[in-house]
Amino acid sequence: MLARSAESLYWIGRYLERASHLARLMRQQTESLVDSPVRDIYFGWHRIYGTLGRRPHTGPLDTEGDEYYTLADSFTLADDLTFEATMPDSIRNCFSLARENARQVRHRISAEMWASLNRPYLRLRDMEIQDIWASTPEQFYANVEADIDTFRGVSSSTMYRDQGWHFIRMGSLLERAELVASVLGAQIAAVRLFAVPADAYWTSLLRLFHAFEAYQQGDGLAIDAGRVLDLLVSDPHLPDSLSMSVLGLHRELSAIGDGPDRTATSQARSQVDHMSDLLRFVWPRTSDAEGLFAEFRIAGRRLHDLVTETYFDYPVVTRSARIGEFDQ
Amino acid sequence: MKFDGYDLDAGVYDELFRSDGTPRSHGRDLYETLLEASDDDMNAIGEWVTRSFTHEGITFTVYGDDEADERIIPIDCIPRVMAGAEWRGLARGLEQRLAALNAFLRDIYDSARIVSDGVIPPDMVFGCPQYRIEMQGFEAPRGIWVAICGTDLVRTVDGFRVLEDNLRVPSGVSYMIAIRKATKSAMRLLYRRSRVGAVEDYGLVLRRTLHEMAPEGCDDPTVVLLTPGVYNSAFYEHMFLARQIGAELVEGRDLVVEDGYVYMRTTAGLRRVDVIYRRIDDDFLDPLVFRPDSLLGAPGLLHAARLSNVSVVNAPGTGVADDKSVYAFVPDMIRYYLAEEPLIPNVETYLCRRPEDLEYTLDNLEHLVVKRVGESGGYGMLVGPHASAEERNRFASLLRQDPADFVAQPTLALSRAPCLIDGRLEPRHVDLRPFILSGGETRIVPGAFCRIAMRRGSLVVNSSQGGGAKDFWVLEEG
Repeated sequence: MLARSAESLYWIGRYLERASHLARLMRQQTESLVDSPVRDIYFGWHRIYGTLGRRPHTGPLDTEGDEYYTLADSFTLADDLTFEATMPDSIRNCFSLARENARQVRHRISAEMWASLNRPYLRLRDMEIQDIWASTPEQFYANVEADIDTFRGVSSSTMYRDQGWHFIRMGSLLERAELVASVLGAQIAAVRLFAVPADAYWTSLLRLFHAFEAYQQGDGLAIDAGRVLDLLVSDPHLPDSLSMSVLGLHRELSAIGDGPDRTATSQARSQVDHMSDLLRFVWPRTSDAEGLFAEFRIAGRRLHDLVTETYFDYPVVTRSARIGEFDQ
Repeated sequence: MKFDGYDLDAGVYDELFRSDGTPRSHGRDLYETLLEASDDDMNAIGEWVTRSFTHEGITFTVYGDDEADERIIPIDCIPRVMAGAEWRGLARGLEQRLAALNAFLRDIYDSARIVSDGVIPPDMVFGCPQYRIEMQGFEAPRGIWVAICGTDLVRTVDGFRVLEDNLRVPSGVSYMIAIRKATKSAMRLLYRRSRVGAVEDYGLVLRRTLHEMAPEGCDDPTVVLLTPGVYNSAFYEHMFLARQIGAELVEGRDLVVEDGYVYMRTTAGLRRVDVIYRRIDDDFLDPLVFRPDSLLGAPGLLHAARLSNVSVVNAPGTGVADDKSVYAFVPDMIRYYLAEEPLIPNVETYLCRRPEDLEYTLDNLEHLVVKRVGESGGYGMLVGPHASAEERNRFASLLRQDPADFVAQPTLALSRAPCLIDGRLEPRHVDLRPFILSGGETRIVPGAFCRIAMRRGSLVVNSSQGGGAKDFWVLEEG
């Protein structure tokens, strides 16, 4: 398929995964505003901003305030992460960018996919934080998640399984792998900062990834940080586990097939192997989980570069260009 | 719904009613359906049609001072209807016209017999900015320079006339199909009863035409649609057609020309392209031949086309044949090349380059429509009867400065059709753009992009000027 179309499809996958992920974090965070202690709320904000590798503009996380300030800060931070035009990862921006990419490849996706992306985009485009804050913000975020789930479902049932499908999947899986590693790293950093081994912080992490029930199926009632992380890293059945994402990346890359340069293709495949090795062989033995997650994310970014160089932006040396070089 | 307040005008043809106020025989079903429908039902249908366009993102882009705005075209849910017999007569006329225009293009880029025989003055052809000297001696595949044509027709009380031939990159066909889809659902019972000619297979017809235009010996051509990109006002249409014909939607940056062949960049490397359905203007096609600053085309594209290694559809240089001055000579072309009388007449046109026509135009500005020859889309135009004295004076001085840049035509009373306006049935002026495809044979789907001047009394139907659109049904008898 056309390289530029493939790239747009890949980015649709990435942006929607990012929006979905942030909506999930925000739903949990806005739920916690109802009944959680102020300290837990601050923990939640630290984890979210840590995940994104950012600091909020006004720095309200520097000091913990009382109830009143906590809620006021939360309003500002939620606006920043949901609607702020200058925040590249805000939910609205992710939706706009996914939709803009989809607009360029509408002939490559099903009409149903386009409609299921365009409708929530139109709704989000005209909303402001006041519109969601006055009633139940958590429901708003739940709806965003549902919209993206709908898009995934519609894609799954209507899209022709050509390369385009695999590029959307690859974008989605790579984004997920990076984001989950990022949340896990941010969790460890936030726990260290707050210096309280609260079970609630770990159960909220499990819930974030739909993993609480899976964890319960294991032995004992006690919440053990090591076991929680182990589940999220290497469980072979959990959709959000890092292992599942890497397995998916293997599958998609092999379905996509070779790019024009075999060497570049095999480099991309080796990079997925490297990510897999980090989880299979380094993770069980590491004493620096945070460092490993950082390394895993760097590996993910490298994979992104390799995919781009292999399929989207490979060098084309034309005869005229070669003649030009010779003349020089 | 009631037709009270739906005033008929003896000087204007109404598409639904005869001058005595009774419905035309082919419009009886539509008339009765409208009569029986409640106001609430019709308004709900109107809103539904508009909403479906918004949800599906069927938009065009309008560029303002600051930013581009994605808009939907105002859609009227009441179809315009025409009897099949009348349509077939029109179709024959359109086919005849395109045959003559293709003959004209073959001729003027070759020996230009029509000029040496004195049918058309040389400066009208060779002095036209759309005449591309670079295309001299070019042999278009199958001799067809224009494979895709959108002809603007208007109807007055005297019958149909051709207002304009669009021979470069005619647009609007996606709206024809999208509006049909929406109107068909909205008026399902009427549609079922009415035996409406189908337009939905336009994509297949276009695909067949493009395949027929492939370079000789190429049995299974790779076809691409070349778009200027997502910011072009007609991008929705480019995407829509690419999907319909199963072609890749490429931009210039996706194409590479090597050794006289055109390739596109795919995920598996370069792949050869055989037919380019281009939706960008000549100027931007190839920076090595036309505008050197263009980033929209591909360097070397024209060279590949000249070698017949790739077919560019429509061929570059066709703009000379839809120039507003050359238009005046199309009836003569039909007589000259086909030895036939034109089946659909032109609108009387005054070429202001001629002193007597200029004088007439200046004396009658309040009755005439004055157009700049190089402009389109309703820009650079004066509608005399609706213009202020100040505007007319401004145009008069422009006319004196550069008369050759203008043509004038009588202000036509375009026919009107009923439209749903603010919950009421009101007549609005309409035109018609059918699409004629010419490859191995000429094909016309029974339908058209029917544009509406949305403001009461206005004659400007262009989308960029706030015009709307409605469905157009060709009704088969029996």
